[in-house]
Parts: sequence; structure tokens; C-alpha cells
Amino acid sequence: MPYQETMSPRERVMNALAGKPVDRTPAVNPTNVATVELMDLVDAPFPYACQDGEMAARLAATGYTELGFDSVSPYFSIIQESSALGCEMQWEEKDNWPTVRMYNPIWKSADDVKIPSDILEHRDMKAITDSIRMLKDEFGDEVAIVGKTMGPWTLAYHVFGVESFLLGTVDNPKETKRALEKLKEISVLFGQAQIDAGADALTFPDHATGDLVSGAYYKEFLQDIHTEMVDILDVPLILHICGKTVDRMPYIAKTGMASFHFDSKNDPQEAMDAVDGGITLVGNINNPETLYARGPEEVRQEVYKCLEAGVQMIGPECAIPLATKIENLMEIPLAIKDWTAERHG
Amino acid sequence: MPVTNEVLESELGHVTNPSEQQHIRSLWDEADPLMQDISVSLIKGDNNRVDQLTKEALESGFTANTILDEGLIAGMAIVGVKFRDNLIFVPEVLVAARAMKAGMTHIEPILSASGIEPIGTVIMGTVKGDLHDIGKNLCIMMLRGAGFTVIDLGVDTSPEEFIEAVEDNEAGVLGMSALLTTTMPNMGRTIDAFEEVEMRDFVKIMVGGAPLSQEFADDMGADGYGKDAISCVDLAKAFMNPEAEHSVSSIA
Repeated sequence: MPYQETMSPRERVMNALAGKPVDRTPAVNPTNVATVELMDLVDAPFPYACQDGEMAARLAATGYTELGFDSVSPYFSIIQESSALGCEMQWEEKDNWPTVRMYNPIWKSADDVKIPSDILEHRDMKAITDSIRMLKDEFGDEVAIVGKTMGPWTLAYHVFGVESFLLGTVDNPKETKRALEKLKEISVLFGQAQIDAGADALTFPDHATGDLVSGAYYKEFLQDIHTEMVDILDVPLILHICGKTVDRMPYIAKTGMASFHFDSKNDPQEAMDAVDGGITLVGNINNPETLYARGPEEVRQEVYKCLEAGVQMIGPECAIPLATKIENLMEIPLAIKDWTAERHG
Repeated sequence: MPVTNEVLESELGHVTNPSEQQHIRSLWDEADPLMQDISVSLIKGDNNRVDQLTKEALESGFTANTILDEGLIAGMAIVGVKFRDNLIFVPEVLVAARAMKAGMTHIEPILSASGIEPIGTVIMGTVKGDLHDIGKNLCIMMLRGAGFTVIDLGVDTSPEEFIEAVEDNEAGVLGMSALLTTTMPNMGRTIDAFEEVEMRDFVKIMVGGAPLSQEFADDMGADGYGKDAISCVDLAKAFMNPEAEHSVSSIA
């Protein structure tokens, strides 16, 4: 049978997340694909596109309308909740990512964790929920809307500082667990608010990366929390952890998360073998060396490598450098379509 | 004197490469058992014990240099190997680093007052837009331990700040760190800025950070890539060597 698309982008993504058959592998952006070029195109520059729902929606929509991805993601960064909690922010300008000044943390211990009752009304939280509503109004069921709620491990880096938090995991693991238990309530609150606004799926970044901590750490501190998140948040969840993660993929596969967004430091085939069908994978086109520094042909080769390995959804490994050329991003869905046509042609 | 401490002997078992094991073992060739105790306490991350043993050692007449080389740095050599081989991760390295700092608190003032010439000056900073500094700080601690003067520019460092610091301190080596794939391109922009002001030939530039690779470092035009804090020190030492080009390529 010649290749023919029979599904809407949303149907394609939702089926892939559920492990069901698809007409072709979807191009998905669990983190985001915003670039300076796209910001200029729709006049929605950083940092304002991270603070205003209408701008966020406009910029996110380009992932579908300009790049041809099957999903849109309006939460571009990883800082919205931390900003709402009162972390010191460095908003930067349109060519740099907004970031939390983690060297100046707001809290010292689990006892300090206090979630403002009106946190969902904070400008930077509303920007996301508002943008999801707008995207839902604009696209309905045409394209998958992927929200994002940060996991407690990442929030802990922001509110306690990375070094202090990681030292705490050795000095007092019980206290660390208590802090994570309290912080996870923010993940639930913001995640549910995005589901209510119309998100079809949620990315759940929780940066227990292999560059910082072991797979045993993931099992000890996060596996149960992530399993609990799956029970509470009633949409497919896409766990995102950067860096080398093969050692923790078997644990991740047991959480019930719909998908794992994995980094280019992990070979696609090795990752597929590690999860052994227990979870779908999305990824893992290299950002700095390929999407940013190379051309469409190199992007295509990486897409094909993922497809040959059976990776269920293809996308950049993580948030992309903002100066990434859009022709490289556009190559991802194009390569998927060509590969599918070649196989079915 | 061979290694007599059983825990240290067991820790040496983690160094599986025979020539590396021989080299690291030789760090304790002349070491008193007290130095071996300091190394073990550092590897275990026991900062209170390192603090106490360092004070004891100084009171017993050991020189600051001996304690630094045969106690603290020797212990960090094993920590570095375990980290490189994924036997331990950043939290365990941080507690070891905290223990090293506890010892350095007593040693650093003595070393500074001794008037020993530093090996060279290194400028270190995390690139523009990136606020991560754990890796950079570990590198700085190891560089200082190895005898370098280090100027720490902190995080979120612009190309102009790097250039100014190199110029003001007449530094021969610059180290840049990044943890995010989104900020890594700023390393290339900084190197370009050195080209623009015609200072590129006067400074060796090394880069490092979790998402980096040798390929990326080459693409950006860096002189060297350090995978971890120990490689960073090796690189900086190689840059100070007149045959630096050869040495650096062999490390990479």
C-alpha cells in the first residue's frame, strides 16, 4: 500500500502516546521548538512570550503551522512555577532563555516550602493556561496540545539551589523526600490546571539526569512519585530527563508514564532495548551538534536512525538553542514522511 | 611507604586500569599513615574528620604541601576516577569537595604566605545565559589545589567580561563552562569575540560541561575539552607547557 496520511496530527500523537498504531510516526516537541526566527515571524519575542498567554499561543502555534510538527507546546522554558513561587529570575532577552538564579535560593528546608493559595493566578502560570485555552480554541482537535508541569526534583533545584539540594540528598535523604513530597503538590496543581484548560498531554520534566545522579537515586527518590503522578494527572504524561539515562530507563518504564523524552547521549536502539516495550520513547535529535550546528542532511540521518530503532515519536532531545535554523527543524517531519513513504512506497 | 590503610587499599580496587592504578598508588609512596587517613576521610566525604586530621597533621609538623599532595589531592584522584567511571555521581563528589574545602581552610593561608610562585593564571566562568556552576567550582577547587591562581568570574559571563579578565590578569588560560545545550553556542560566540579583538593567539581556551563533547569543542574552535575536573587540571597544565599542542591533543 502506498503511504497515505489518514490521521489528524492530534490523533497521531495521542495514538503514539498510547502505544496504538499510527499512519506515520509523529514529530513531537515535548519541550519546545521556539527560535528567534519564529519569534520575529509572529512578533512574540522572549521573555514576553513566556509571560503573556496570547504571545505564548502565537509562538507555540508556529511549531505546527511553520515547522509541520504534530504537536504544539506553549510552555517554552522550565521556570514558570519557580517564578510564581518567588524565585529570583533572570528574564534575559529574545536570544537567551529565561532562567532562575539558583545561586540565590529562596528556601533552605522542607519546612520552608509554602505554596501560595493563588499561585495559579500568577502572571507566569496564567500565561500557560491562557495559551492552552487559546490554542484549543484555534486548533480544536486538529493538533495535539502538550502542556508542561515541572516535577519536584527540578523545582527543588530552583528553590533550594542545585548544590545545596544535592548535598542534602546525602546528608539527610529523609528531609529530601519530605521536600519532594511537598513540592509535588505544585506539579499536580499546575498540571491539573493545564488539563482543565485543554492540554491533551503533559510533559513532566524532572531533571534527575545521569550527569548529576545515579539510576539508584531515581529509584530511591522519584520512581514512586512519578508513578503517583500518573494516577493523579489524567492525561498521557511524557517524562523528560536530560543526559545519560539508560541506567534508569527500566525504572522509568515501570512508572506508567506514557512516554519518555530522551537525550541524544543515549543511543536510540540502546534506549529501546532498555525500556523493552514498557514505555514509548520520544526524541532524541541532538541539539548543539546537529540541529544548531549542522544542516538538514545531518538532521535527516538522525531522524532515520531513530525511526530504524523504532522510536515512537521524533523530536529534538530538549529545548533547542534559540538561534537554531528553522530549516533544520522543518527537516524532522519531512524526514519522517520520506522515510515512511520509502518503506511503504 | 606502601598503602597500609585497608579502606584506601579497597578504594584503589576501583581503579581498574593497571597503569592508572600504578600512578595513583604512587601518590602515597612516601605518605605517612596519617596522610592516608586524610585521603580516606576525603573519599568518604567526612568533612569533620578531614578538618580534624588536617589540624592534627599541621600540629605534628607535616608541611601544608605534604598534606595537600599526599592527603587531599591524592584522595581526590580516586574520587575523580570513581566519578569518571560512574561509580559515584555529583552528590558524592560534592561531599568529597566539601571535605577537601575543610582541609584547604587550614592549608591555603599557609600556602599563600609561603610565596610559592603559582603555575599560572586561569580565568574561569560559566557562559552568558547559564547560571550553573557546580562543575566549574569543582574545576576551580582542583586547579587551585594543583597550584594555579584562578580568577572566578562566576556564572552568566559575557564575552566582554571574559576578555577583560584575561587582559587584566594577563592570564594564559581561559576555561568556560556550560550545562545547557541552549547556552553552549555562547562558547563559540566568546571565542569569536577573542578573535575580533585579536587576542585569540594569546590565550588557550578550554571548555567543559555535561552536554559538551570533543566534537563540539572542536566546532567552536576551543583549544581543549575537559570531560571532568581532573581533565581540566591536566589541560591547564599542558597549556602551561611549551609543548602544549602535543600534550593537549594527547589528553583529548
